Amino acid sequence: MGRDGFQKYHPLVNFLYFALVIGFSMALNHPLAQGISLVCAAAYAVQAEGKKAVLFTLKWCLPIMLLTAFMNPAFSHEGITILMYFPTGNPLTLESILYGLSAGVMIATVMLWFLNFNRVITSDKFIYLFGRIIPAMSLVLSMTLRFIPKFKAQMDSVVDAQRSIGRDISQGSLWHRTKIAITVLSIMVTWALENAIETADSMKSRGYGLKGRTAFSIYRFDDRDKMAMLYLGFCGFYLLAGVIVSAFGFRYFPSIRYIGLNTVTLSFQFVYLILCLMPVVLNAAEERKWKAIHSKM
Amino acid sequence: MKKILSLLLALTIMLSLCACQGNFGSVDLKDSIAIPDDGIIKESVIKQIKNENAIGVFAGKSGDFKYEWTIFGSDIEDTKEINLQAQISKTADGAVAVVLAQTDAFGFSGLLSIHLEEKWEEDSATAYQNDQPVASVSLTGSKDNTILNCILDGTLQEFTIKADVLPEEEETTEDIDPPTEETTIPTTGNDDYLSRPGSNDDKVYTDGKDKYLTDPIPEGKPQPVEPEDQDVDKAKTYTCTFSIECSTILNNLDQLDPEKLEMVPSGGVILKKTTVTFYEGESVFDVLQRLCKEKGIHIESSWTPIYNSAYIEGIHNLYEFDCGELSGWMYRVNGWYPNYGCSRYQLKDGDVVEWRYTCDLGHDVGRGMS
Repeated sequence: MGRDGFQKYHPLVNFLYFALVIGFSMALNHPLAQGISLVCAAAYAVQAEGKKAVLFTLKWCLPIMLLTAFMNPAFSHEGITILMYFPTGNPLTLESILYGLSAGVMIATVMLWFLNFNRVITSDKFIYLFGRIIPAMSLVLSMTLRFIPKFKAQMDSVVDAQRSIGRDISQGSLWHRTKIAITVLSIMVTWALENAIETADSMKSRGYGLKGRTAFSIYRFDDRDKMAMLYLGFCGFYLLAGVIVSAFGFRYFPSIRYIGLNTVTLSFQFVYLILCLMPVVLNAAEERKWKAIHSKM
Repeated sequence: MKKILSLLLALTIMLSLCACQGNFGSVDLKDSIAIPDDGIIKESVIKQIKNENAIGVFAGKSGDFKYEWTIFGSDIEDTKEINLQAQISKTADGAVAVVLAQTDAFGFSGLLSIHLEEKWEEDSATAYQNDQPVASVSLTGSKDNTILNCILDGTLQEFTIKADVLPEEEETTEDIDPPTEETTIPTTGNDDYLSRPGSNDDKVYTDGKDKYLTDPIPEGKPQPVEPEDQDVDKAKTYTCTFSIECSTILNNLDQLDPEKLEMVPSGGVILKKTTVTFYEGESVFDVLQRLCKEKGIHIESSWTPIYNSAYIEGIHNLYEFDCGELSGWMYRVNGWYPNYGCSRYQLKDGDVVEWRYTCDLGHDVGRGMS
């Protein structure tokens, strides 16, 4: 736990991996593929973050998943299997429930993948990857991605500072507490705007985005990264071919129709599994190697 | 590196070839198939339609008349070589005479659609053999031409199609009432409407529309009754007939969402003309919803406040916009398409209600002609 070896691969490998898994998670609606993606995303998050990831899953992913599954049949009534009728006279159909469930799983899966993405693709990796191609955009993106954690940290310190001068947000009447909260909010908004301008100015004064400017980076594209790229490229091509020949075909409306599982379609599912599992396997292997070396010493 | 790349490319090509396999030597059923001069369709083609559970469309021409056969794979019981040639001509009294080349049963029922260059103003038609009615014919088409649709199994060889004179003739005495009743409605209908308390007559907009954006109702047609004013009297029961059909889709299969193909019933009839009992004061929508529930037919509706009526989005999983941008469900009562929603149409004893799917804003199902 806590050791994420995949993070140490070249940013290009990290990014390609997430682009592939998030892309396919959003594109494939075959229940087996969705299950594979969900399990792998959760496994990776738990392996790297432990309890925190479990808490995130239970607190955010599960409720959103269930909410979507219940909401969909309330608004969508398409489907041939009528289970019962709503008071409005519209039918509750099996297909709309299953589709809601599938959409819920998809949202939860993508949320988990982004949890992993945020941990692995740090803002310096992001700037490294896109700083040259789209300098302004990548700076804005990196600032936005960092905004919420930074804002939270700053807010904590502002609240502490206010408390030390007698404006405690956790005590007093509702009116009193609201007044302090508004003060804190005002400070935070001012700080956020100022901070954004400061960051932009400081980047500009360093010549960010200018022609001929080089940037220091500690990333090296070595043989290990080459192998990983090759592996990702193979999986990507194979799965893309699978999507083109509709090996992942699954239709919910008006009736459920899908491509049966046979050796060919199963091979695509298997490749999807080994693609999604890549960091988990790499980390586990690294862990084992580390322990093996350790015990010899 | 290059070797691996070329290997990947080869793999991709092989996979895509695998997917295309099995389609060699067969016809593409997505497009319509031209009927050859001798009219003979090979058994292999019929077999393919059956095996793929597809819908085959065969197009032909006889003189000035274009015609099409629509054959459902699920309907095919027997596969054999068949002859789909039809000779179509006009008789002196304006009817259409048809002679089929096939002498025995097809082994399935197919839908024959004959495209006329002219417009028939009537609501429906009937096929006659030796002056005996043998099959009913539904009329679709567009603003200025008509398509005759008739389900045939090949046993009928020579027949003539004549338009029905009266809209919806029924065998029982009750059902003959509507036409006569209609002639007396203009005064009573309007009086009823004006004297109704809380009715929408207190607000009349300058452009002649009422507060639910309804244009003036043609003379002789029933006025809308707001759902909140409808008093359902469960002590009094009447009967009316309901039918639900979507034969226009069969003339526009190329526009249909391919996922919905399996929902289209052969011949386009979702619910045959059925006699329904209703309580006094019920609207078309109330009865339709109850009927669909009873028969297990899927229906989805949504309440539309600005028209003060329910809107039927889909029946039998065939939704609005599933067959082109101008498609959706419409209703006709006693041969007239009301210009207001089905929740505002209060049923009368003996009403003939038809729910029809249109692919052309109603022009193909005869709106605005009667």
